[in-house]
Amino acid sequence: MRLPKRQLAVLEAASATDKRTIDDLATETDLKPETVTGAAFDLRDAGLVSVTETTTETADLTAEGRQYVEEALPEVRLYRAARERGATDDSVPMGQAIGSADLDGHEVDIALANFSRKGFGSIDAGELSIDPDAEPDADPEAAALAALAGDRDADDDRTTIDDDVRDRLASRGLIEVIERTTRAVTLTDAGVDALMKGVEAAETVGALTPELLASGEWRDVEFAEYDVEADAPTVTGGRKHVLRATADRVKDVLVGMGFKEMEGPHADADFWINDCLFMPQDHPARTHWDRFGLDVDPMAEIPEALLERVEAAHREGVGPDGDGYHSPWSETFAREIALRGHTTSLSMRYLSGYAGAELEPPQRYFSVEKVYRNDTLDPTHLLEFFQIEGWVMAEDLSVRDLMGTFEEFYRQFGITDIRFKPHYNPYTEPSFELFGEHPETGEEIEIGNSGVFREEVTKPLGIDCDVMAWGLALERLAMLTTGAEDIRDLHGTLADIEFLRNAEVSY
Amino acid sequence: MPVVDVDADELRELTGHEEKSDAELKDDLFGLGLEFEGETEDGDLQFEFAPDRLDRLSVEGVARSLRYHYGDARGVYVPKTNDPEWTIEVDESVPAERPYVTGAVIRGVDLDDRGLESLIQLQEKLHATMGRGRAKGAIGIHDLTMLKGAPAGEDGERSITYCGVDPEGDTFVPLDSNDEVTPAAVLEEHDTGRTYADLVEAYGRYPAIYDDIGLFSFPPVINGKRTEVTTGSRDLLVELTGTDQWTIDKMCTIVCYALSARGATVEEVTVEYADGASAPDEYGSTLVRPNLEVDEKSVTHDRIETLLGVEFEPETVVDCFERAGLDASYTLGEETTYDVEIPPYRVDVLHPLDLVDDVGRAYGFNELEPRYPDVGTVGKRNERSRLEDAVRASLVGLGYEDLLNFHMISGAENYDRMRIDPGTDVFGAGEPVTITEPYSEDYTQLRTWALPSLVMLLERNTHNAYPQDVAEIGFVADRDEAENTNVAERRHVAAALARRDASYEAAKGRLAALCADFGVDLETPPIEHPSFIDGRAASVVIDGDVVGVIGELHPAVLVEHDLEVPVAAFEFDLESLR
Repeated sequence: MRLPKRQLAVLEAASATDKRTIDDLATETDLKPETVTGAAFDLRDAGLVSVTETTTETADLTAEGRQYVEEALPEVRLYRAARERGATDDSVPMGQAIGSADLDGHEVDIALANFSRKGFGSIDAGELSIDPDAEPDADPEAAALAALAGDRDADDDRTTIDDDVRDRLASRGLIEVIERTTRAVTLTDAGVDALMKGVEAAETVGALTPELLASGEWRDVEFAEYDVEADAPTVTGGRKHVLRATADRVKDVLVGMGFKEMEGPHADADFWINDCLFMPQDHPARTHWDRFGLDVDPMAEIPEALLERVEAAHREGVGPDGDGYHSPWSETFAREIALRGHTTSLSMRYLSGYAGAELEPPQRYFSVEKVYRNDTLDPTHLLEFFQIEGWVMAEDLSVRDLMGTFEEFYRQFGITDIRFKPHYNPYTEPSFELFGEHPETGEEIEIGNSGVFREEVTKPLGIDCDVMAWGLALERLAMLTTGAEDIRDLHGTLADIEFLRNAEVSY
Repeated sequence: MPVVDVDADELRELTGHEEKSDAELKDDLFGLGLEFEGETEDGDLQFEFAPDRLDRLSVEGVARSLRYHYGDARGVYVPKTNDPEWTIEVDESVPAERPYVTGAVIRGVDLDDRGLESLIQLQEKLHATMGRGRAKGAIGIHDLTMLKGAPAGEDGERSITYCGVDPEGDTFVPLDSNDEVTPAAVLEEHDTGRTYADLVEAYGRYPAIYDDIGLFSFPPVINGKRTEVTTGSRDLLVELTGTDQWTIDKMCTIVCYALSARGATVEEVTVEYADGASAPDEYGSTLVRPNLEVDEKSVTHDRIETLLGVEFEPETVVDCFERAGLDASYTLGEETTYDVEIPPYRVDVLHPLDLVDDVGRAYGFNELEPRYPDVGTVGKRNERSRLEDAVRASLVGLGYEDLLNFHMISGAENYDRMRIDPGTDVFGAGEPVTITEPYSEDYTQLRTWALPSLVMLLERNTHNAYPQDVAEIGFVADRDEAENTNVAERRHVAAALARRDASYEAAKGRLAALCADFGVDLETPPIEHPSFIDGRAASVVIDGDVVGVIGELHPAVLVEHDLEVPVAAFEFDLESLR
């Protein structure tokens, strides 16, 4: 037979005739008591030893108990004082007896209660008389206290204290009773047999191998113990990018609200990026220092009729009372190619029907795609960032529908108290900036821009109903949900791989 | 967004609400859309607002809006004007690039330091916004008493002349100077001249305004010192030149309203375009300015109700219009319609819907109860977005850290540091789409492939622990005349193993696993690619098409990026997994 080393040691130290306690075995085998206990149970399960448990109670004096060992119990002191004052013959005033017994405070109550209970005498109308036959010096409670106060080796005395006395002392708060379980091990017959036949220590192995499993040898080996509390080497598995995870969450929410996803070119004609949006060609955002123009030829194909309608909207406005802009408009500029400054270019392509089928109301569309702005690169601004864009097309949409839709969207991200501040955009009217409370700082921050597309936008696209739209930078939402303070930690080739690995998963 | 500096005491004075505290004023202005931004060094309050209500670019305009807000004023107000004494003659020599002029005479103005400061601020802010940095419209304000018109007599009318002048053809003393110089010299030597030189440099003749004494204004660059306005000035000439008559007329109107609010009287001027000058088509050759005509537009009751989602009594709508500084009358009928009068300082009302916005603001958008629209639609993601997601899940499962890199890059990073040349026949070396006015030399073109971004990220992270296995599904683009945009846009799958034991085999194993996930056939015939070690590079051929490259990065590329571990990588077109 083979046994793990520690089981073998316990087996060899155990006796068939003597119960040996765990502590004894630990001392003999030089193992920790908990290791011996574990081994003993394993041996018991194998039928080689039996383990018995005995519960012993020990009593220890409390501070008050120790005090009475030195001063004698209050009732005994009262008896002695009364006897000295001659109470054996005649009653003495109680106050005098208490005074000469030197009792004070709660000791008086204790003394009087126990004096009567133990039959040391009687108290009547403030007069105290004693029973001359009482034997306070032989009081079992005092004796028990004295015994407990004695040498700690005198186990016999402790355990021979009468149960009633012990309970009484415990209820008086003079002693504390503690229960202890002691396990003792004895060899069974099978254990004796095994030892007679010879038991070998099993081999200790570091790793469980396919060979050990196949041969069945795993049964006989002992696995080296690990320090299971030690740190393990760092594991870096792959992760979806934290910003991408936020984008996907936004997409899920919008799909759930009935929005379809748009796609389209990053490099597009100014026509789709700005002219369709009724942005005047001399608008500051369209000038060279805000825009990333590309050195490629202009766009050849733009639907002719649409181009004419958009130009007319810029020059003359829309409807009998409409005014256009008093700004220059050139088709050459409209055809120039630039990186889109917003994904509203996609909305224009879809609303016009150019991106696919002509759309009939109602419709909901969205995108979470990259846009490019020639702005200053700093902790909160990037040259490239993701814009969340969404719009709803339906008959007779009102500002209230717009508010209801956006409240619902932001509620999905835990932003419940959004405020609508009237605003101005060239392409929407009415327009609103959306403000919400930062979930951690409580600060009021801008979280989006929204409005109902102007007729100068929708009519040239061939739309006769209302379209409400909104936009928001994804990074702003992500900074709120991840706590990132520098947007550049998240996005781009300056990113810190440790930051990406350690960012909390958002879902 | 424009910012207006407001002296709080002046604002209290002009609104007639001396009792308002600064905090109350800030709150009231926030309600109008003017957000408190901070204080100037002089203790003025600064407010930022959206660029629609440019009539609020001075304390006078802000005060007017507040009076409507408080209900102290209602309906349209137009200041009275006196008949013209002065004429601005437009000579045919006027530069064709800047043909238009307008103006007004202001009498009896009482400018203290604060008033003068406010006027200068209004002028500067109008230049920055409507004036498009003075290119579209520029304002010159002069002390009228320093001007000498045509000799009195005849009919007593006085005139000044807007004309063109040879850059070296005349001299005057500009503001902030004591030297008599030519317009050309102003552009070279004077601080303000240098700032605005690019507006007129290309003109054959420079814009100039003359009185009987001579050249006194060089718009849009600088005024002459002779007619400089001071706190002692009582009568002013306001002149504006520009590229659009409507725009300069509106700027002029806003200035007139501001000065009228300080108690001055507005006097008209006549603008006479000579036969050879290009008079504005919509107004003809003789104009009386400032144009304080009230505009009119109609809007239906139904449109107001549907757009705001609220049912109104017509009286409520009229009340809202009047509190917005408009006048409205209506006729009840099948289609109740409001005829609305709009004061001339409003430059933002282009369409009847803009009037609905005014009703909404006056009524209070915060009064509206949000409701979720009862409109049923079906949502879905597009196929490309789902494919990207699925590929990303596979890459992450293979242990790659998902990246998001910039699409803009420099040519050095995209080509040189990867040892390839633009337009050559190796994967990733497409012709660049370059940015005409880049933010910096780090972002001059769109990346033609994604591996350079991955290697840049590794370069940036050499202080961090290895392995660094990174991947990206990202946008790349190169020139392609076959596209309508002349830019071919694609998504590439790029992945790199940066670790002590990175090898071709390790990269190929992962690529094969990815291809197996998507049920496509992978072949890897050997190629030579300058970014990779010879003999350890292959084309990625998926379902028979060459779509990418795989290999161990060349030591020269690694050393160039300060990398001290081998890198095995692949990149290919996402579409091949469809």
